[in-house]
Amino acid sequence: MRQQVPYLMGVGLLALFVAFPFVYSAGDYDYIMHIMITAFFYAILASSWSMLAGYAGQFSFGHIGFMGIGAYTTAMFSHYFYLTGAPTGLCTEYQFGATWLVIVNPIGVTSTTLTQDCLRQAIDVWGGTVEVTSMPVWLGITLGTIMGGVFGLMVGLLVLRLRAAYLALFTLGFAEILKATISAEIEITRGQAGMEMPALFENGVTIFGRFYSKTDKVPPYFVMFALLLVCLSILAWLSHSKFGLFVRALREDQDAAAALGVNTTRYKVLVFVITTMMAAAAGGVQGHYVGIVTPNSLFLLQMSLVVAMAVIGGVESFIAAAIGAIIIEFALEMLRNSFYIGGFEVDMTLWRLVIFGILLMLTLRFARNGLIAPIINYFARGHVAGETVAKRDAASEAGLVK
Amino acid sequence: MEFPDIFWGVIAWMILWGVVGSIAIRRRYLQHDLDTSNAGFVGATVGAATGPVGLIPLWLNTPELGGRLVVLPAIVAVLLVVGAFAIADPSNNCVASGSFVASQFTNGLIIGIIYGFMALGLTLIFSILGIVSFSHGEFYMIGGMLVYYITAVWFPGINPLLAIAMACAAVFALGAAFERLFLTPMYQGKIDRPVEYGILITFGLAFTLQYFVQATAGANPVKVQRFFDFPKIRLPSTEDPWLIKTSRGNLELFDTVSISNPRFTAAVACIMVLLALLYFLHRTWTGKALRAVSQDREAAAIAGINPDRMNMLAFAMGAMIAALAGSLLVQAFSWLPQVGNIPAMRSFVIVVLGGLGSLPGAFLGGIIVGLVEAAGTGCIPDAQKAASYIPAYGMVVLTLTLLLRPTGLFGRRFAGGTHGKV
Repeated sequence: MRQQVPYLMGVGLLALFVAFPFVYSAGDYDYIMHIMITAFFYAILASSWSMLAGYAGQFSFGHIGFMGIGAYTTAMFSHYFYLTGAPTGLCTEYQFGATWLVIVNPIGVTSTTLTQDCLRQAIDVWGGTVEVTSMPVWLGITLGTIMGGVFGLMVGLLVLRLRAAYLALFTLGFAEILKATISAEIEITRGQAGMEMPALFENGVTIFGRFYSKTDKVPPYFVMFALLLVCLSILAWLSHSKFGLFVRALREDQDAAAALGVNTTRYKVLVFVITTMMAAAAGGVQGHYVGIVTPNSLFLLQMSLVVAMAVIGGVESFIAAAIGAIIIEFALEMLRNSFYIGGFEVDMTLWRLVIFGILLMLTLRFARNGLIAPIINYFARGHVAGETVAKRDAASEAGLVK
Repeated sequence: MEFPDIFWGVIAWMILWGVVGSIAIRRRYLQHDLDTSNAGFVGATVGAATGPVGLIPLWLNTPELGGRLVVLPAIVAVLLVVGAFAIADPSNNCVASGSFVASQFTNGLIIGIIYGFMALGLTLIFSILGIVSFSHGEFYMIGGMLVYYITAVWFPGINPLLAIAMACAAVFALGAAFERLFLTPMYQGKIDRPVEYGILITFGLAFTLQYFVQATAGANPVKVQRFFDFPKIRLPSTEDPWLIKTSRGNLELFDTVSISNPRFTAAVACIMVLLALLYFLHRTWTGKALRAVSQDREAAAIAGINPDRMNMLAFAMGAMIAALAGSLLVQAFSWLPQVGNIPAMRSFVIVVLGGLGSLPGAFLGGIIVGLVEAAGTGCIPDAQKAASYIPAYGMVVLTLTLLLRPTGLFGRRFAGGTHGKV
């Protein structure tokens, strides 16, 4: 019976998350929903990172960089590509039947040029006679995901020979280069100003006869939740298949795994590609939901958060990492309120991160499997030890009889 | 300004033959059952420097790849890039103005010495404990912060040397305490993967310290007055073509190279401490014990050295070195809780370039990175972009090192990063 508890808990959580937007109705509805969506976003990052670091043993500190690749690819796609009904004559454009694919020229962010790109000029000339459609959001997210996978493939191939500390340093460096490049190439990425992105459902959406406007939190909530579920199912499928066994063998001893016939190259690269694609997809969706993507979202703090969430949840179990991420995101938001002790203001916006860091260190030091994973294990596998002892006793008794 | 195609053409040509060389030569050496540890690197540099002209004899003869063959092609390749740059952009400051080059070179050298010194702490920790400390930048930041608080807030008017000593002592104690509390289970075999544990726990420490300082000290940049004024000198005499002229905050050489006082004093102090450190490591019992542990833990333990205590000493000393670099540089830069991030990244680059665990490698690597950064900021035509890319220059060096020669310049064979288990 006890081993059913995690499944029941899982189903309960699932039901809770599905019902939540319709049940909850307090005044801070939008705020709580926003935290939920962000929590799901971090849950995707933390669980895919736990697959990469906890299962495969590849301690990559560039995960947030791949998230950024996804977000920026999506943003640039929606920013620079349009479909028009007539040629602009100014932009780079390709004709497909009666529509033209227009690639807008990058113009940077100086105030005088902000509205001066070639498409805007053409629209001014047309005076509203030609229809201009932006690219579908989903295509952008797909492209962002693919781009994340491509970069994951390249980095995965580059780090094949590197282990442990070298891998961590290289991936950290990769994320830093990426951030520097995005901040520096102002003409294309708009630097610190960030790139604006359309909402997930720019024209609103109707689900089950109910209309949701583009600022409504319910559609992005379910999109992010669905993405989290998809990622978790893929991870669950992978970890229970040969793949999971192989990457764990890789983690324990790469040479031994290779000697036993595991194609270490293939699985190392594959695990990179899969997890980075998840991070990139999360980045694309989050970018569309928030409406802007800036280089600040690639800060090391974000990576620290992902690492800490996965470690506190339990780095060797992606479910625990996801739950840990959701709980910690909530805890961090709830701890935001500053308070006074004897006229001395305690600025909780910073102290909560200190507490969080200490919690991370203590978890690592005293509970290496994290705080959530042991609970799941207690219920799911707690009986295993007892059964093993019983089996051994039975075997020894049988031996005595013989 | 746009670069002419010739520059990109030369670069593309060099990359093409570099890649071909690194793959083909490595294969060739592997097939002939020869030592391949340098083959990829030499193949890449020979390919980049000479193209097929040099690769074919190398491929045919497969000579032993010793000192000269490693160094010469690398120098030629660098010169080629410089030459192509000079032809492509003759009006650039880096090409046209000799005094600008001299000034950039000197400043790169000076800042490189400081970088190298800081990386020394990281490499010391790695050589004894076998972990890369991700909290190195935070120790650097705390060193500077403490000096600011001691000199400006707690004890105004205190001798800066005393303040530096106090800051170093505090960080030394912090490092020792952290090592005792959090790193000890690593050597007791309680942890499956000590390297990863070391990375994560120091990462957690970095996170905690950074926000702790931000919460207590605030996020406003602080700055310390320069510690010492230069005496007013004008050599050889008062006549006009002088060699050295100093004002209180600046030192000028030959009327062209200008070095600011804080950087100069920091670099001199770094060199002095480095000499003291070398004396400590090579002439005292404790220093020799440290080096012995870094070479072979078990053998050192048999010889009567307590490796665990050496671990504590090494971590605390590494942290103190970072703090010392920070407390010397707090007079040169304005100080923020986040100020440690970039030097930390730089230190990682330097130790990998020099070879993880190698002390001379760290110092030489620091100078190389300092020069590369000076060249990068000075020579890229668009000044704003050049400044934004500062963190990336070192990373390019890091990537090239990891691809071509993962053991670094003077690396011992720690490529796995697992200390003790080669």
